[in-house]
Amino acid sequence: MIHPCFRILKIASFLAAGALIALPSRAQEPAAVIPAKHQALLKEHCISCHGAEKQKGKFRVDELPFTIADNLNAERWQKVLNALNSGEMPPEEEKQLPGGAKADFLDDLSKVMVEARRNLGDTKGVIAMRRLNQREYGNTLRDLLGVTMDVRELPNDKNSSGFDTAGSSLFMSGDQFEQYLELGRESVNEAFERNDRGALVKKERFEAEKGLLERVSKSLKKRIESRVAYNKWTRAVDKAAALPENKTATADLRKAGQGKSAHLFYHSWAEISGAPSPVDYGFIDAQDASFAASDGTWNRNVPYQSWFLSQAENQTGAWLTVGDNQVNSYFNFNVHGWPAGDYVVRVRAAASEKVLPERRFIEFGMGGGNPFSHESTRMVAGTLAEPQIIEFPVTLTAKGQRTFFVRERGTHDDDNQPNLKQNVGIQENGVGLDFAIWIDWAEVERLPAKLPAPGMRALAAVVGDVRSNIPPGELHKALEDFCLEAFRGQKASPGFLKRLVEVYADRRGHGENHRVALTETLALVLSSPRFLYLVEPSGAVANDGGSVSDPRTASKRQSGGACNLSALELASRLSYFLWSAPPDEALRELGASGALLKPEILSAQTTRLLDDPRSTGFLRPFLHQWLRMDRLDFFRFNNVLYPDFDMSTKEAARMEVYETFAYVLRENRSLRELLKSDYAVVNGLLAQYYKLVGVSGDQFQVVKLAVDSPRGGLLGMAAIHGMGSNGEHSSPIERGAWVLRKLLNDPPPPAPANVPQLSRLEGKLLTTRERLLAHQEQPQCASCHRKIDPIGFGLENFDAVGQWRDEDSYERSGVGRKKWPVEPAGAFHKGPAFGSYFELRDLIHARADGFSRGFSLALMQYALGRSIAFRDETLVGKMLSEAKSQDFALRSFIHTLVLSEEFRSK
Amino acid sequence: MIKRRHFLRSSAATLALPFLESVGFRKFATAAAPATPAKRMIFIAMGYGVTQETWFPDRQQTGRGFVLPPGLAPLARHKEDVTIVQGLSNRYSEDAHAGSTFWLSGANPHEGGAVFHNGISADQVAAAAFGKETRFASLQLNGSDKDLSGPGHGQGLSLAWDNRGKPIGGQNSPLAAFNRLFSAENISVENLRLRLAQKRSLLDTVLEEARDLQGRLAKNDLDKLDEYFQGIREIEVRLSKDEQWQSVPKPKSPLQAPPEGPLGREEIRLMYDLMAAALQTDSTRVITYRLPIANLLTSLGVKVAAHDMSHYNPGERMEASQRRDVANSELLAGLLDKLKGVPEANGSRLFDHTTVVFGSNISNVHNLTNCPTLITGGGASVKLGHHIVVSKDTPLCNVWLTLLRGSGLELERHGDSSGVVKELIA
Repeated sequence: MIHPCFRILKIASFLAAGALIALPSRAQEPAAVIPAKHQALLKEHCISCHGAEKQKGKFRVDELPFTIADNLNAERWQKVLNALNSGEMPPEEEKQLPGGAKADFLDDLSKVMVEARRNLGDTKGVIAMRRLNQREYGNTLRDLLGVTMDVRELPNDKNSSGFDTAGSSLFMSGDQFEQYLELGRESVNEAFERNDRGALVKKERFEAEKGLLERVSKSLKKRIESRVAYNKWTRAVDKAAALPENKTATADLRKAGQGKSAHLFYHSWAEISGAPSPVDYGFIDAQDASFAASDGTWNRNVPYQSWFLSQAENQTGAWLTVGDNQVNSYFNFNVHGWPAGDYVVRVRAAASEKVLPERRFIEFGMGGGNPFSHESTRMVAGTLAEPQIIEFPVTLTAKGQRTFFVRERGTHDDDNQPNLKQNVGIQENGVGLDFAIWIDWAEVERLPAKLPAPGMRALAAVVGDVRSNIPPGELHKALEDFCLEAFRGQKASPGFLKRLVEVYADRRGHGENHRVALTETLALVLSSPRFLYLVEPSGAVANDGGSVSDPRTASKRQSGGACNLSALELASRLSYFLWSAPPDEALRELGASGALLKPEILSAQTTRLLDDPRSTGFLRPFLHQWLRMDRLDFFRFNNVLYPDFDMSTKEAARMEVYETFAYVLRENRSLRELLKSDYAVVNGLLAQYYKLVGVSGDQFQVVKLAVDSPRGGLLGMAAIHGMGSNGEHSSPIERGAWVLRKLLNDPPPPAPANVPQLSRLEGKLLTTRERLLAHQEQPQCASCHRKIDPIGFGLENFDAVGQWRDEDSYERSGVGRKKWPVEPAGAFHKGPAFGSYFELRDLIHARADGFSRGFSLALMQYALGRSIAFRDETLVGKMLSEAKSQDFALRSFIHTLVLSEEFRSK
Repeated sequence: MIKRRHFLRSSAATLALPFLESVGFRKFATAAAPATPAKRMIFIAMGYGVTQETWFPDRQQTGRGFVLPPGLAPLARHKEDVTIVQGLSNRYSEDAHAGSTFWLSGANPHEGGAVFHNGISADQVAAAAFGKETRFASLQLNGSDKDLSGPGHGQGLSLAWDNRGKPIGGQNSPLAAFNRLFSAENISVENLRLRLAQKRSLLDTVLEEARDLQGRLAKNDLDKLDEYFQGIREIEVRLSKDEQWQSVPKPKSPLQAPPEGPLGREEIRLMYDLMAAALQTDSTRVITYRLPIANLLTSLGVKVAAHDMSHYNPGERMEASQRRDVANSELLAGLLDKLKGVPEANGSRLFDHTTVVFGSNISNVHNLTNCPTLITGGGASVKLGHHIVVSKDTPLCNVWLTLLRGSGLELERHGDSSGVVKELIA
């Protein structure tokens, strides 16, 4: 059973004497070459110690080749780079390299090192079989069994250098195998539960006012009584304290309590003879007493609570409150015991016209685990006169949550948010913020099951119930069909099927019921390599024993060492690229018949997959990883400085990136529009944040922008600027480096290790620019920062949360505060100058070639799951020229890639 | 709250029990306790390094006469037992955000032109030898940080990498670790035997499928499939071990089950309790632990984000970095108290036979030279209570080699070691 690739290789070596060169010619072999102009520098500063004569540290620089073509020399040059970066070489007492020349050399050397590593890591176009990553695994179970599983227990497969599709980083371990086995059992159980209760339709309504006034009145009564009891108790303690025999003790306590809360004095009541215990006044202890009767509760909560109780609308529904969980800061409802399935939750709600539009939103979520999270935020357009029904589609899993909540937007992002918000209301009217959201009722409804998923269809004959007795023949057939679905059209080996039947029989023999035995058997299918890996045997030996020379599946060797995929394998590669999910029936059929190998059919399928909603399975993870959007969650945004950039805004800002890209993809518009456009894609919430008028609702929609708007394109997005901040201050370095990496495809080399830190300026009040200029002093810093910093400064008109500003400030406690006007003007390193953000954006927009090149490389890396090497230049060139001829139409990149030899081979 | 206090109280109480209480669980029921207590090793990694200015002792004060700097001050009561080594580094390391990935392996990430490569970690070298006699060959513990392989620790599923340089996973919470170590099922030996047999048949079934596939794949694919086989093999080894241990009940835990949820400082304390308990019951002899970073800061009330903290400058960030150092030293001192409080069969202390290393591949900020290295415990017969400054560019692997040999392993080299650290040998 020799793989055809090997076979052809043998033939090739047979003919090698003369015919090897006849293979299709590719781009010239790669070379990472250090520009020769640096020779003089090395000669002058290094060779006297590291040359033929001295050979200090047994290290010779004179023998280092300027072309880096092997690992050994890559290591040696790395050593040179490290020594210069750390300032270790030249030694202090020796003549130092002149700043400018050193920076230039470091710049070139670090770039060439990146190139050399890329060449040395070249896989020669071969894409090794890879495991499904975490999200693909989850999607695959979804499409096979119709279940939604929580797969977060599995390693998330993200790696720092590339995409989660990179096969070389997708490992397997014993622990992980056990997890697959367990998740396999769970998902089969879940599928059975859904199947059994498929037809069940169930509905329940929860009135918001039910029990509300009674509960809140009771809480108010308790608060008032506590306050009265507390005052009685403390006065009695005061009285005892005033007795002559307590004079010393009281004086001591008062002295110890100086500058602290008045409550604390009473906590020491036991030291005052004759003072009564708080227990006598109905409290658990002194702590409980001061908590229950605190000034905060009395001055803030009690008036607000009373005001709440006086609202007539609470008779027929309920206002939501800002904080104070004893009133109505959450509306909770649950459906404990209801089966897994697809549900819809409806909430009938109204927004007060008295409050600012920013407050007319609700947050909806499930569970009670983390109060600081939610699933979605929705605009409430309904009014008290005409409330509105808002629908939330949800999936309940067998093990998942059954509790839901609705609350006002931006009131539970963290502990102090409700207080910060309420302070505004108290300042305005002495009591609290006007009530914003009114809820009439909520309703939970289970929807009838959709068509059974393919995996369940295959099992239809054997699902039965726990008592079923399935003849082995029928079971064998069902398992065979199930495997075909699970293995995306590839057949299971006969030996495997035989063993599966035995496992089932063994379990039954040991007294397990039908369902348990079947679950165990199916979990094995879901843990076997043909399910967990994107297996591409290229029809080396057809599963049915068919001939290798079958034209549909035969493969041929190519110059790069890669093999063509069979049509069926290609179907999987395409769907995992564009959906992160298995091929559907239509695509698999085209794979099985071989038709998919025809370019026009492959192209049509690409279009169909991109048009399918499942393409978010490509778009979002790709963008998230390509643009390094994980940075948006690196920091918590300071909600004292930026109260408007709450969790809901942050989510909307993240979605803006996805939705803008989705719009460009859907309409096949130009990639350049991501650099600058005369429109933004926003929903009502984000439009408010950007102060764009005329947008309402939760749908993301295209809005025409004013000519002078800073929005439009990635550089106008709050998410991008938030990523380039630490949650408090903008970071011109992060932003500048990001623009170079992602928009200009001129990535600075990875931040080098062992560069001395600049700390002499800390503690001084300086503008951002003054602080960062220090980077230009040392050549090893300047080599990168002279490129990074000017771009970052050009974006300083955006604050840490992407709002426009003309002024920036820095405050350091104990030192003071400094304010300065933003000065965006600057110039690209050895490039054109710009006077404003708008001019900078125009310059970047004019460099669309670099952007589309970077995009192409990322797309290839994501789609092929391997590193991109010099040999891939041909394809990059093709993608670029094809796209350029169509004004960088987004789909053109994808089509060219899919139709390429690289994509269709392994 | 009450639950947690109860747990801590009870842990302190039980740890003080005489050693004989647990000796029955030590090995096979029939085996006698060995005359010399076994060697154990603990490796604790903090990811990001330390505060240069306040963690390292003065380089001039070598030997015994060094002053504990503020970052190590909470270890004062253990000063005579703590050795700090300066000047070590992993020469191939170049990723200033990966403090743990290559810490114990010293591997060259680009070996053979690879995009990513790693080698076996020192703990696994020890586990291969010491793990034969215990229920778990080694234990891999991780902190609760959401993205534990993000900046700080770097790639990996724990500190451990197997002999092929593949990452090994572990338990990410005290509760998960407790369950692995101590939770016992009420199951008869026959049923256990049946279950093992059934598990074997499950493995055989997927292997059948994998072997069928094996015959149809090209070489590159076979390498990947081999990882799958390796995974199955791991479980088989575990099953043989389970079989070996099926008649020996899991030890009764000297601790109550830890509560779910505490993060940061409390979580580390609980993990340390469990580590002591795991060694005390001889459930394993090799433990690694990736400390939480972000959650530790949060639990200390520090508002600075972990990565910002690592790029400290005088001011808020440096204070955060220093508070992290102090908290880590306090917690470590607590672990040493526990190890010293557990008596061995021959009257010595668990501490005397355990090597504890605390450190990181990152020194501070973006610096990978002078990896902070703290060694304590009597397991490897090294000099304790010393401050040692080795010559620049001494491979960190020389320390691993010294400790592994000191613990009784016959070993030529480890990673890129060039020999032992002579100054360290007592």
